[in-house]
Amino acid sequence: MRRPAKTCPVCESGVRVVDYKDDRSLGRFTTERGKILPSRLSGMCSRHQRQLGEAIKRARYLALLPYIKGFGK
Amino acid sequence: MTRRYEIVYIFDSALDEEGVKGILSRFHALLVTPDKPEPVTQSNHWGKRTLAFSIKRRDTGYYVVEQFETEPRLLAEFERAVKLEDKVIRYLLVVNEGEAPRPAAVARAFGEPEEDAAEGDE
Repeated sequence: MRRPAKTCPVCESGVRVVDYKDDRSLGRFTTERGKILPSRLSGMCSRHQRQLGEAIKRARYLALLPYIKGFGK
Repeated sequence: MTRRYEIVYIFDSALDEEGVKGILSRFHALLVTPDKPEPVTQSNHWGKRTLAFSIKRRDTGYYVVEQFETEPRLLAEFERAVKLEDKVIRYLLVVNEGEAPRPAAVARAFGEPEEDAAEGDE
């Protein structure tokens, strides 16, 4: 029995470009420690996964997202 | 040949809006080209925000997002000025071409804003 293929949450929402300034949405694709969630868990298509990775890294640089969640608290 | 760019500045939050505008207008002067007297197409002040981690011992910053169009050769001098300005804690300059991201659309699509459960207090 094969599991049905997961659908990309970004494609489904009708968004084409992942925005690095949207920390709310980006934060949903990180683990509880702030790592980038692998596409095998999020069901992200490879195109959006690549955009997501870049977006999260930019957001981290701008202190919109933490590099390590819960560090130094 | 001009290109479109986007820049995010994080200013020292001790600065008030007037101070930020003063610094920004100095930066804008460096981007003017003969055929583009008004290089900045969009300027968006997010205002004071808590940083996800402290930068230079500061926990808050004043965020400004701007889109502008200028010639690439002017950027070296522009970035030098931005780096020298110590009221700018951090900045990120990216080429912004192709489809413009629509943050509002993204937020809507992802539905309910999970009330910062992820960020965790303390």
